[in-house]
Amino acid sequence: MSDLFSQPFEEEPPDESAAVLKPAARRRILTVSQITAAIRSAIESQFCDVWIEGEISNCRVWHTGHIYFTLKDEAAQIRAVMFRAASHYLRFKPEDGLHVIARGRLGVYDAKGEYQIVCEHLEPKGVGALQLAFEQIKKKLKAEGLFEQARKRELPALPRKIGIVTSLDGAALRDIIQVLRRRHPNLHLVIRPTRVQGEGAAGDIVRSLRAITKVAGVDVVIVARGGGSAEDLQPFNEEVLARAIVASPKPVISAVGHEVDFTIADFVADVRAPTPSAAAEIVVAAKDEFCRRIDALKMRLDAAVRAQVQRRRHRLHVLSSHRGLAGWRATVATSGRHLSDLTHRLRTAATVQIARKQQRYRTLRLALESRDVRRRLAAIRGRVGAADNRLRSAALRHRDRADARFRVLAGRLETLSPLAVLARGYAVCWNADRTAAIRRASAVGRGDMVRVTLHEGELECEVRKAE
Amino acid sequence: MDPTIKDFESATAELDTIVRKLEEGDLPLEQSMVLYERGLQLSRFCHAKIEEAERRIELLNERGELRTAPAVLGLGGGDEEGAKPR
Repeated sequence: MSDLFSQPFEEEPPDESAAVLKPAARRRILTVSQITAAIRSAIESQFCDVWIEGEISNCRVWHTGHIYFTLKDEAAQIRAVMFRAASHYLRFKPEDGLHVIARGRLGVYDAKGEYQIVCEHLEPKGVGALQLAFEQIKKKLKAEGLFEQARKRELPALPRKIGIVTSLDGAALRDIIQVLRRRHPNLHLVIRPTRVQGEGAAGDIVRSLRAITKVAGVDVVIVARGGGSAEDLQPFNEEVLARAIVASPKPVISAVGHEVDFTIADFVADVRAPTPSAAAEIVVAAKDEFCRRIDALKMRLDAAVRAQVQRRRHRLHVLSSHRGLAGWRATVATSGRHLSDLTHRLRTAATVQIARKQQRYRTLRLALESRDVRRRLAAIRGRVGAADNRLRSAALRHRDRADARFRVLAGRLETLSPLAVLARGYAVCWNADRTAAIRRASAVGRGDMVRVTLHEGELECEVRKAE
Repeated sequence: MDPTIKDFESATAELDTIVRKLEEGDLPLEQSMVLYERGLQLSRFCHAKIEEAERRIELLNERGELRTAPAVLGLGGGDEEGAKPR
């Protein structure tokens, strides 16, 4: 320290240094301002461009953007400031404990009698500035819980529109469109052309993200670029973009084409895709999953209903093969046949009788007409008329009777229930395999097996004698 | 679309409930058929939703306006339709 101060003063004009260093000779008194000005001019001219290595402590960032800190080593320290114009270009955030190399000029702050290094440039020692910045932002956002999986949103199963933020001429866009088109031709894409590398790209991406999430129907956004060097990926490591992704009202998929390295955007995105193509696959996978789910539900729906119908059919079958009910159909069929036979016979009989009587009437009339007996005509006419009437009414009575009998039979059929019949003590005798009812004793022989359905239960019988 | 169906999320949820109900079982036939009909309706709705999205590519410009993307973008390699001049 001592020779640090001695250096500039050796070059000072002899009269001034004499005044300071040899007060005994001629008493020249300086004001504080004068001496400070002298010191400043000495220091500032001597140390207008120095490199200093040290550890940052007492670091404070002012809202104005100026950064104040102290650089120190084991034995000494020096105050430091980095004004906004310079700190603006910093890739990382100076913080306590950081080992840095500062480049700048020394300046004296008259009002406080302090000297300090005014930094133009600051770089972390050992790691690169970008790497350090990355680690810093990562640590900070992680501490805020922004990497938490629980915070991240589900992708929509059926995005109405898919937003894409990327450069128009990059391979990323081409890859995404290709995959989406191949997988689901019916997709609505909204592309926001955006510069994704170079100075200020992060800000552009942020603006694009905000704009595209405002488009009605955009349910998911892919932020993509097709790989590149660490420097190229820098925008995706900037805090401002990370914050915009977190604040996005719609889920964001990061697709920075770099399989291995994660960017900060990858950490905060709702879904991280290793490549732009993968991002497209992820978007449609959700849709595929939804399709599969609907199909599965539809299949289960059909199966459930089919199973129910099956169950019912089975129950019906069990019921219908139960006890006396088995013969029900056969009985009804038999009764039906009897009835229709009877009806037919009745109708035929009635018709035949009527026809016969009509025939007799005609014959009689012919006979009467052929005999020209006018005297007896009136009497005969009367008798004929009466006969005619009697004939008609007889025929009609006959028909009415037949109809009435038919109706009674039909009515009985309606109330006919095999169970009711069986309950009255009737039984149905079947052949052994129960395929036909036995109506004649001659249909079976001695030793044949028959089954007999009773009102309750069934008998299996052996014929001992058929009469 | 059917006014009784809100969106595909609620449709899937309802379909899921119906399927469970039917699978569990012993509903009266009448009710099963009503549920089945509703289930079919919901599944048709979901399928329609899947196909609903339009095949379209738009560009969002700096002024926030949407413009149909130049056909060359739709190309994406194997897509011939997008390449045809209109």
